[in-house]
Amino acid sequence: MVNLIIDDKQVTAPKDSTIYDAAKLNGIKIPILCHDKKLKPFGACRMCLVEVEQMKGRQIPACTTPITEGMIIRTATPEIIKARELVLELLLLNHPLDCPVCDKAGDCDLQNLTYDYKVDSNRFSDLKFQHEIDYNNPLIERDMNRCVLCGKCVRICDEIVSYGALTFIDRGIETKIGCEFEKKLDCEFCGSCISVCPVGSLLARPFKFKSRFWALTKHNSVCGYCGTGCNLTLGVKDNKVLTTVYDENQGFHKGQLCVRGRFGYQFINSDKRLTKPLIRKNGTLTESTWDEALELVAGRLKGGSAVAALATPRLTNEELVVFKKLLLDSVGTKNFDHAAGYAHAALTEGFARSFGTSASSASILDIQKSDLLLVIKTDSYETHPVVGFEVNMAVKNKGVKLSVLSDKRGKLSKLPHAQTLVHLPGSEVAVLNAIAKTIIDEKLVNTHAASVPGYAELEKALSAFSAEVVAAQCGLTAADIKKLATDYASAEKAMIIFPVGQAYTGHNADLASAVANLAILTGKYGKEGCGVLCLSEKNNSQGAVDMGFYAQNGGLNGLQILDACTDGTVKTLFVAGENPLTSYPNRSKVKKALEAVEFLIVTELFLTETAAMADVVLPVCSFAEKTGTFTSADRRVQYVKPAISKNSQLKTDFEVFSDLIVKLGGQSSSTPAVLFGEIAATTPGYTGMSHESLKSEGAFAAVSMKPAFVVPQATASVAAEAGKLALVTGSALYHSGTQSQYGEGPMHVCPEGYIELSRADASTYKIAENDLVTVSSAEGSMQLKAKVTPRMPVGVAFAPYHFTAAPINTIWSGAPVTLVSVAK
Amino acid sequence: MSKVVAQQAEEQEPEVDLIKADQVIDKYIDLPGNLMPVLQGVQDAYGYIPRIVADHVAERLNVYPSQIYGVLTFYAQFHLKPRGKFIIRVCVGTACHVQGAQRIKETFFNLLHIAHTETSADLRFTFEEVACLGACGMAPLAMVNDDTYGKMTVQKVDEIVAKYSAIPLD
Repeated sequence: MVNLIIDDKQVTAPKDSTIYDAAKLNGIKIPILCHDKKLKPFGACRMCLVEVEQMKGRQIPACTTPITEGMIIRTATPEIIKARELVLELLLLNHPLDCPVCDKAGDCDLQNLTYDYKVDSNRFSDLKFQHEIDYNNPLIERDMNRCVLCGKCVRICDEIVSYGALTFIDRGIETKIGCEFEKKLDCEFCGSCISVCPVGSLLARPFKFKSRFWALTKHNSVCGYCGTGCNLTLGVKDNKVLTTVYDENQGFHKGQLCVRGRFGYQFINSDKRLTKPLIRKNGTLTESTWDEALELVAGRLKGGSAVAALATPRLTNEELVVFKKLLLDSVGTKNFDHAAGYAHAALTEGFARSFGTSASSASILDIQKSDLLLVIKTDSYETHPVVGFEVNMAVKNKGVKLSVLSDKRGKLSKLPHAQTLVHLPGSEVAVLNAIAKTIIDEKLVNTHAASVPGYAELEKALSAFSAEVVAAQCGLTAADIKKLATDYASAEKAMIIFPVGQAYTGHNADLASAVANLAILTGKYGKEGCGVLCLSEKNNSQGAVDMGFYAQNGGLNGLQILDACTDGTVKTLFVAGENPLTSYPNRSKVKKALEAVEFLIVTELFLTETAAMADVVLPVCSFAEKTGTFTSADRRVQYVKPAISKNSQLKTDFEVFSDLIVKLGGQSSSTPAVLFGEIAATTPGYTGMSHESLKSEGAFAAVSMKPAFVVPQATASVAAEAGKLALVTGSALYHSGTQSQYGEGPMHVCPEGYIELSRADASTYKIAENDLVTVSSAEGSMQLKAKVTPRMPVGVAFAPYHFTAAPINTIWSGAPVTLVSVAK
Repeated sequence: MSKVVAQQAEEQEPEVDLIKADQVIDKYIDLPGNLMPVLQGVQDAYGYIPRIVADHVAERLNVYPSQIYGVLTFYAQFHLKPRGKFIIRVCVGTACHVQGAQRIKETFFNLLHIAHTETSADLRFTFEEVACLGACGMAPLAMVNDDTYGKMTVQKVDEIVAKYSAIPLD
C-alpha cells in the first residue's frame, strides 16, 4: 500500500493504482470521459486533470499517472476547475447540442459533466462536423458528429471483443472514428461500443425513440440464451422490455454482452407470442381456455406408462423439478430427457465417470487466472461469446498462452501467439489420447496420478495412441502434438475448455473423459486457474443436469423417446419448450415420430413448427416474466425475477406443471421459492442457498470430485472422399438453439442457414460467396447459401443448425461428421 | 476533372497481382512490429496501396483491416490511389510564398489540370503542395521526384512539364 494525500485527506491505495483509482477507492470523485475501468488507460480527454505538488503543481491526467509514496494531489483547485471547463467548452464547440432528440440524453457523460461544471456559454465558435450518419445496419447507429474522440469504442473492440471493427481515421482536426476504407459497419454487433460510448455517437437502433432513459425502470435479470450466465439489466417501460441497459459493475463480465444478450430481447414482447391455449379440433389448432386444455392434458397423462417428456434446458431449476415430480410421481414415467438426450452426456456420463460429479471442475473466473488455455474447437467463441471475451482478455492482457485444437480456424486462433492445431474432423479424442500418451511417455505425470483408479488400464489402452500414429491419421505432425502435451503439462496452471450442444455430437462422454484424463494426469484440477470447463449450451443446461432431468434408472433418453413414439410404445409426448423438428438430428425421423405419437402436448412461447404439430399447445412465459433460478455452465446459481408482469392469459411452466400435479391428485409446491428450499436441501452443492440469499448475486454450487481414469473410445477421423466434403455442424455466430431466431440482433448478424467452405473447395466446385448450392448427404438434400472463408481447411464444410427455414437436420443424422456433396 | 478520373480509378481497381505483396510480407513476417516496413515495401512495389493489398496484408499479418487503414490515413507517406510516375512538389512555405510560389502552383495547374494530391489521368504526374523543402535560399522551389529546381519561374514550369512529358511511360 502507498500513502498519499488527496485533497488534504491522508489516504492509502494499492501500489499499482493510478491517481484516479486511488481517489475513487477513497471516495473522491474525479471526472472522466475517455477512461473506463475495463480498458487500458488512454489519457485522451483531459477531464481528469489534477495538480500534483511534487510535479511543481503541474496539471496532469489522473487516469494515466501512477501513484507514488507521499504524493500530494489536489483534484479541485480553481485552476483545475477552469481547465476542465475549457475542455468542455472545446468539446462543445463541435459537439451538436441536439440533446432533445438524442437517445443518450439522461445517460450522457458529456451532458452530465457540462451540467456539473455549469458550462452554459462558449467563448469560441466553430463549425459543427458534417459527417454522414451510418444507418446501414438495423442495430448500431453511428453519428460521428457527436463524437468526442475518447476512443473507447476502438479500444473495447480491440482489447475485449478482439474484433477491431473501428479505428481512428486521419489526423488532427480531421480525425474521426470509422471502419477501414470508410466502409459501413459490418461486425459481430455485440454492441460493446454502444455500452461504453460517453455520448450519443453510437446508439442502439432498436431502442431509438422508444423511451427517454429516465423513464425506463431497470430490472436485473440473467440472460436466457447460453450457459455463460451473463447478468442483464432490462430497461422496461409500459410493461415492455425496450432495451438492455449497460451496467459496468454487473456480473463477472462487468456488463459485457454479446449480440444476443444485448440485442436479442425482442422475443419477450414479440407479437408472435402465443397468448391462448390451443387445442386441435377437427385437425386445426383452435383457441381454447386453460381449464379445457389442462383437463384434456391431465386426462392423457393419467396412469401413463406410455407417456414421455422432453424439456428445454431454458426452464428454471424449479420448473424442471416440478416437471420431474409431475412425471415421476403423478404420471409414473421415467421417460424424460433434455437436449436431445446426448448433448449433456459430457457431463452426465463423461464427467460423472471421470470426476465423480456431473459438473465442470473450473469456472469462467479461472480463465484469466490460468497460464495456459487449451480450447477444443474454435466454436467455443461462437457458442459462448462472453467466455470468448474472457479468453481474449486473458491472452491479451494477462499473457495467458492459448492452444486451440480444432477442425477449423476461427476467431480464437487469431489471438496473439495462439497455437492452433487444425486436425481432420472427428479426431478430437484420438488427438487428446495422443497428448495423454505423450504426457505419460515424457514422464510429465503428476506424482498423485498413478494412485488414481484406472491408471494402469489407461496407460495400457493408450499404447495404440503414439503421437506419430495419431498425427498421421489426423492430419497433424507428431511434433505439434508433443509440443501441445509438454506445454500443457509444464504450465503451472492450465485449463481446458470445450463446448457441448445439440450440434456437437462428437463432444460426448468420451471427449469429456479424454480431457479429464489430461487434467488428472497432470494434477491440473481442483485449484485456481486449472480444471476442465464444459460450456453447456443453454442458459440452464447445467441446472437440468443438477436437477436430474435426464434419462436415468432405465428411462428412455431423448432419441429413444422419439423412436418409441414411432413404434407406438410412447403414446403421449409432452414437449416443454423444445423444438426437436429443427434442433434434433435426422428431421425425417423426428417428423415421423411426432406424426406417429397419438397425443402431443407442447408448452411454448411461440407456435414453432413442433408446436404446430401438437394436439395441445400451452402458452408459457419467458425468463423475463417468471421467478426462479438458472445454473450457468460453471455452476453459478442465479436468481431471476419478473421484469415485466406476464399477460394474464399466460401461465409459467411452473404453474402449468403444478396445476397438472393437482389435477392428477397430487400436492404441489406453492411457489418457486418454497420449491427451491427443497432443491437446496437435496441437491449436492446447493446446500444453504435460497432465493433470498441469491437475490443480490448468484452463488457457485460447490463441486466435490472423485477422480478416476476412464479409457475414452476414439473414433476414426473422417477424411473427405473424392468429390465429397466432410460437413461439421455447430453453432453460428451468436445464435443459441432455435430461440435466437426470434431476436432481432442475432437474426441481423446471421439471418439464415449457410454452408461454409474453404476458398480452395469453392474454386474446385466453382462456387462463389452467396451462391445457392445444393448440399446432399445419404440422409437427403437441401439448398443452402454458400459462404467462402479462409478459416475452413480444404475438404471440410461447416453448417449451423438453428434455422427452421433451413433445417440442417434434413441432411444431418447426428453423426459428428457427415459426408456431403455440393453442387451449384 | 482529374478528381473524377482518380475516383474512377479507385472504383475500378485494376487487377492486382498479390505476389509482389507476398514477397514483401515474407521478408518481414517474423519481424516484431512489421506493419510499417511491410506497408512501405508494398507501397514501393505497387506505387500506392491498393485496397485489396491492404486486406491481404491484414490477413497475412493478422492485423485488423481497420488498424491498417488507421495507419495508412495517419501518415502522409501512404497513398491509397495510384500515383503518377513523376511527383511534382511545389513548396508553398514562407520563403517560397514571398517569392511567388502561388504563381508557380497556378501555372502547373493550368498546364496539367491537377491540384494538390491529384494525379493526371495517364498516371504521368502527381501534384503536391508542400510546406517546406528546406532549401529556402533557392525559393521559389519545386521538385520532380528527386530532382530539385530552384529560383522557379513561369517559363521554367513550361520547360519542366515539357521535359517530363517527353520521357516515355513504361
